Amino acid sequence: MTGAGTSGSRAADDELARRVAELVAAHPAVVRLDGGIFGAVATYLPGHRLVGVRVDEHGGPVEVAVVLSLAAPIPEVVAQLRARVAAVAGGRPVDVTVSDVVAGPDPQGGPVAPVEIGP
Amino acid sequence: MSSSTGSTTGGTPAAATPSTSAGAGTSGSPGRLAEETAQGRTTIAASVVQKIAGIAAREISGVYSMGGGLSRTFGALRERIPGGGTGASNIAGVQVEVGEKQAAIDLDIVVEYGASIVDLARAVRRNVITAVERMTGLEVIEVNIAVNDIHLPEEDGPEAPPVPATPAPSRVE
Repeated sequence: MTGAGTSGSRAADDELARRVAELVAAHPAVVRLDGGIFGAVATYLPGHRLVGVRVDEHGGPVEVAVVLSLAAPIPEVVAQLRARVAAVAGGRPVDVTVSDVVAGPDPQGGPVAPVEIGP
Repeated sequence: MSSSTGSTTGGTPAAATPSTSAGAGTSGSPGRLAEETAQGRTTIAASVVQKIAGIAAREISGVYSMGGGLSRTFGALRERIPGGGTGASNIAGVQVEVGEKQAAIDLDIVVEYGASIVDLARAVRRNVITAVERMTGLEVIEVNIAVNDIHLPEEDGPEAPPVPATPAPSRVE
């Protein structure tokens, strides 16, 4: 969990990123987390990469990038996601990126992977 | 083009397409919603608007398919580009420009023979505007519809039927 040179606040940020990823992926309209428009929304953790959540290390915004289903209007879903994340983000602004949508209430048969974990 | 809800053109939209192609990419122009407050900002990718518009247009019966000529070619090309969007079938024939609060949409459609093109275009425009405004919160300022082709019902039958089993009697003795 704590690698060399990882400060205490950095570890707290990583923990926050994990919680945010869980909260966001739990929303029914979220198909999966995504890397964002340039794939830059990710948290680099020891051993794996948490795609779709980035916590600014200087107390800046918490960034979340998601692929949504088209079951509900996007602004509503975004507002709900922001509220969920803001509850744990401690007053930080929450930037939400909708990088793609999937038609229909269900993603096309594929398993809903809440978090993409890279090698 | 100058009307507030867009135009319907027949034939090739070659003159209209290039101007919007810069904004039609999936990663080129991220749209931003207006709510940039202290709570954070919301970004909706252009491909999201593209997909919603494509789905809404196809919902109207009488739209046989979308895309034509150039946009079909680019759609096929886009499918091969990593990150170019997986649902390329949904976004063929749809170009969008997404701004902070507004979106402009260009559609290339192929209509079914027998549909009133004017009525069809009106229905498509209404459905696209409703869907995009409802789903994204962006204001749709125009939907330009180019009818590229008309689909005849005989074209999609099995290969055999066009040739009758018994040759037609010769008209000349």
